[in-house]
Amino acid sequence: MKANAICIMIVEDDPAVRNLMTTTMETQHYRFCSARTGEEALAKAVSQKPDIILLDLGLPDIDGIAIIKKIRSWSGAPIIVISARSEDQDKIEALDAGADDYLTKPFSVDELLARLRATVRRIGESRKAKDQDQAVFVNGDLKIDYAAGTVYLRGKELHVTPIEYKLLVLFSHNPGKVLTHTFITKEVWGSNWEGDVASLRVYMATLRKKIEKDPASPQVIQTHVGVGYRMMQSNTST
Amino acid sequence: MRADPDQLLKAIGTEKEEGHRGQLKIFFGYAAGVGKTYAMLEAAHGALEAGNDVVVGYVEPHTRPQTMALLDGLPVLPVKKTVYKGITLSGFDLDGVIARKPEIAVVDELAHTNAAGSRHTKRYQDVEELLKAGINVYTTVNVQHLESLGDRVAAITGVVVRERIPDRIFDNADQVELVDIEPAELITRLGEGKIYREKQASQAVKHFFSGANLTALREIALRRCADRVNRISENVRIQSNSTYYTDEHILVCLSSSPTNPKIIRTAARMAQAFRARFSALYVATPEAEDLDEEDARRLKNNTHLAEQLGAAIETVTGDDIALQIAEFARLSGVSKIVVGRSNARHKRFGLKANLTEQLITDAPELDVYIIPDEKTNQRVNIKRTLRQAPRIIVSDVVKSFLILIAATTIGFLFYHLHFSEANIITVYILSVLITAIVTTRRSYSLVSSLISVLIFNFCFTDPKWTFNAYDSGYPVTFAIMFIAAFITSSLAVRIKQHAKQSALVAYRTKVLLDTNQFIQKASGRTAIIAVTAGQIIKLLDQAVVFYPVAGGQLETPQVFPKTNQKPDLAWTCDNERAVAAWVCKNNKRAGATTGTLGESRGLYHAVRVNQVVYGVVGVMMCGEDLEAFQNSILLSILGECALALENDKVSREREQAAIMAKNEQLRANLLRAISHDLRTPLTAISGNASILMANSGDLSETQKLRLETDIHDDALWLINLVENLLAVTRIEDGTMNLTLTPELMDDVVETALTHLRRDNPEKKILYQPSPEMLVAKMDAHLIVQVIINLVDNGIKYTPPQSAITVRVYPRKKGTARKPLTDVVVEVADQGPGIADAVKPRIFDMFYTGENKIADNRRSLGLGLALCKSIVTAHNGTIAVYDNKPVGTIFRFSLPAKEVSIDEG
Repeated sequence: MKANAICIMIVEDDPAVRNLMTTTMETQHYRFCSARTGEEALAKAVSQKPDIILLDLGLPDIDGIAIIKKIRSWSGAPIIVISARSEDQDKIEALDAGADDYLTKPFSVDELLARLRATVRRIGESRKAKDQDQAVFVNGDLKIDYAAGTVYLRGKELHVTPIEYKLLVLFSHNPGKVLTHTFITKEVWGSNWEGDVASLRVYMATLRKKIEKDPASPQVIQTHVGVGYRMMQSNTST
Repeated sequence: MRADPDQLLKAIGTEKEEGHRGQLKIFFGYAAGVGKTYAMLEAAHGALEAGNDVVVGYVEPHTRPQTMALLDGLPVLPVKKTVYKGITLSGFDLDGVIARKPEIAVVDELAHTNAAGSRHTKRYQDVEELLKAGINVYTTVNVQHLESLGDRVAAITGVVVRERIPDRIFDNADQVELVDIEPAELITRLGEGKIYREKQASQAVKHFFSGANLTALREIALRRCADRVNRISENVRIQSNSTYYTDEHILVCLSSSPTNPKIIRTAARMAQAFRARFSALYVATPEAEDLDEEDARRLKNNTHLAEQLGAAIETVTGDDIALQIAEFARLSGVSKIVVGRSNARHKRFGLKANLTEQLITDAPELDVYIIPDEKTNQRVNIKRTLRQAPRIIVSDVVKSFLILIAATTIGFLFYHLHFSEANIITVYILSVLITAIVTTRRSYSLVSSLISVLIFNFCFTDPKWTFNAYDSGYPVTFAIMFIAAFITSSLAVRIKQHAKQSALVAYRTKVLLDTNQFIQKASGRTAIIAVTAGQIIKLLDQAVVFYPVAGGQLETPQVFPKTNQKPDLAWTCDNERAVAAWVCKNNKRAGATTGTLGESRGLYHAVRVNQVVYGVVGVMMCGEDLEAFQNSILLSILGECALALENDKVSREREQAAIMAKNEQLRANLLRAISHDLRTPLTAISGNASILMANSGDLSETQKLRLETDIHDDALWLINLVENLLAVTRIEDGTMNLTLTPELMDDVVETALTHLRRDNPEKKILYQPSPEMLVAKMDAHLIVQVIINLVDNGIKYTPPQSAITVRVYPRKKGTARKPLTDVVVEVADQGPGIADAVKPRIFDMFYTGENKIADNRRSLGLGLALCKSIVTAHNGTIAVYDNKPVGTIFRFSLPAKEVSIDEG
């Protein structure tokens, strides 16, 4: 899918930041529209049907979390939350409400563009996935055979424990999306205790040792300290 | 002459209180039917017409028709129906009136006793609560209901009135209106059936309403009113600073005697007449422990009466009543003592001087007033001896007999060995002595002495096996043997009693001393409360519930059960809590064994200093009343506790103020530092940007790039500053509000390093991850900030080409049985190092390497101080060490969290 076929909606009340973002979109030749308030954002989300939404959480009229919930009631378009609040709890709330990713102000333009690219690619992937009901998930060197319940790394079968397998499957269903601890523990353990979060950390660390070439600079699963984990999509993926 | 400062303070206190207290108006009559209720309702009408908010709280429903007619036009509150043991009782609705909060409430019959299950036993207590709530009250009372006049009225009319009110209610009333008619007219009214319906006007009533009776009652009532006026004018005189002086202190002794109330009342009247201090003393003698139920109840009633009449109740323990009284009188400056005549006459065996004589000897400076009371007293004494006789304790009897049998056996042995009779007699005297020691009452040794003599006579004197004695010297031997045995045993009993009493006194002193010491040692409210409860349990052996009070509201109760006792939920149920709340609000004791809310399980006391209540203590009573001495110790303990709680509160407030001041100082310093530190980069950013905007055409690409890079760098620096500031704002009240989650330390370090490498691409930052997985509970963002600050610090103070190493490793500590691990993070640089002198101060806020603020751009000495606060808030430690061969190591550690993985 070509970049300019994608329509991005920018929801931001601060003129300077909005200006920075629209300028960035222009230079990268993205199609975009912008909204200043929550009301405007909801109206444009219906009328313009954007493919990606960049949403500032601190809007003057409606709380950002409420906007996410409303949009999620009828649209699955990826939402990247932009927040000046540095509290992790805000991000987690937004992610649990249905946002896909987050950026904390002050963010760099490079970072914004990287997130956008990843999201665009994910949209392409999921559209492809819709066409063919996949029995196999492939991401770079990693391959999951859902039917056989086996994992392959660079063509070799990788021994994973049942919980590690569950985790991998969960990530493979949500590539590119930041999954919060709460979400993961609920999906995998069915509960959300403090002990589960601690165990999750250890499982993720061991899992990463198995699937990352260099666990110190992970390429497949990214850690978002205090928030959660994300499976990144390999550029070489087709 | 100056007024006594205490008096003045007291007067000020009462005046202040009157500010919010309601006024009490009493319609006072000398008998039923004089028209008190009528006068009261008329006054209520008057007040209503004058525009006041008047409500009739309660008027006896069987009042005369003419009076009932007066209720028309007055708002009447519905009476409260309570069901008690299947009978519906209607009564005065106290809460209804308080909720309605009228200006004036009309409540008939002040001396009425409430139905069981009401909040207060007596209506006057209801009225006091109304007054306390700021509601003015109109009420009625008859002269025979006044406590101090009860006996006099009874003497005149022959009718004992049970419903009485304390005199202070009457004397402190704001207005008393005497409702008076001629006795002759009252009798006419009675004849017309206006007072009681025809049928009720029985013989007894007619007897009561005789002309002579009524005249006498009228006289008492009039005199009482006059007394009250006198007293008021006296008060006015005191307040107006005119000559007033009294140093009188009147003492009355409490006993279980039925005549004691009379003496107490007389003493109270004297105290009033002399305007003297009034104390009532109870001397707890060893015999007092054997009081039977009726006597104990009478003693309690007498104590209560004295309290009602305004006496300060004191208890002393001792054997010699006169000596104890004299001692107390000397110590408390008593000037007059009131005793009954029976005490003055009654002599025991003519051996001892009577109480009055003893008193006169022991305290020659004391005025002794003797009140006639003997008639009944002697009858009671006989009755008491009769009643006490059958109280025999089986074990004591068995012991006495065993001892006698043993003595007789030894006697036979001696007899067969042909020892002289004197030896056998000695054995018997010894046996009586032993009996005195091991049994609880004197009577056993007395009987033992007698039986010993008889056995000796029976078994060892000629003719044997008879009670006859040939030798004419034997009767003398028997008498001497009996007297010797009895005196020995008496002495032994007395020594035993003395020991018991001193033990009791010592125990009391010890409890108080302990309480004092423990409370002094206890720091913090919880500790003080725990100590107090512990001491009360020790003293009373009852479970204790403590409600701390803050801002006039009860907080969550703390339950302290006895040892080996399970806490009972019923102790803190809503009903009990309501009693505690009442105590807290009214600052008076209530609950079990008191006249207020007596249905409850616990006895509640306010823990207070003056008018401020710091808590409410509930003692879960098991039916029995507290003994007087227990009560006085309990009050002392509570007093200690209240003072300690007050101190604690004051010191806590002071601490909080200090913390606030410190935080304020911190913020002020911070603002000053920030404004300086923000100005520099902001100047650079705005300046560079304006150059770029104005001269973009004239600048070379290299120049432009340099300016843009500067803007970018300064902006980044500002971003870092803001991150630190955000962390600082979370320092509240000296602690941080942390959201702790378990994190893998390596993840956290990597996140920090990602930031650092992005911002400092040219710097060499090495990382040695931990050999094992280390999880610690932390606020990830703050710990990331700590690592960033430490590494940044290294970058700032070391040469550009030198490397910085970050290491994560575990450090084992704790015991083998309970191993603990710390997660250690180390940031080592190869810079110039830090001088030892500077090390202790390096974590101080606003401390910088150069120790100067001016013009050093990166001078906000916040980073390391922040690191320390963050790590400390995580229960971790941070320290600085020297690196080998050169440089500095910053090392911080957090307690690791054990993670269990349950997967095969």
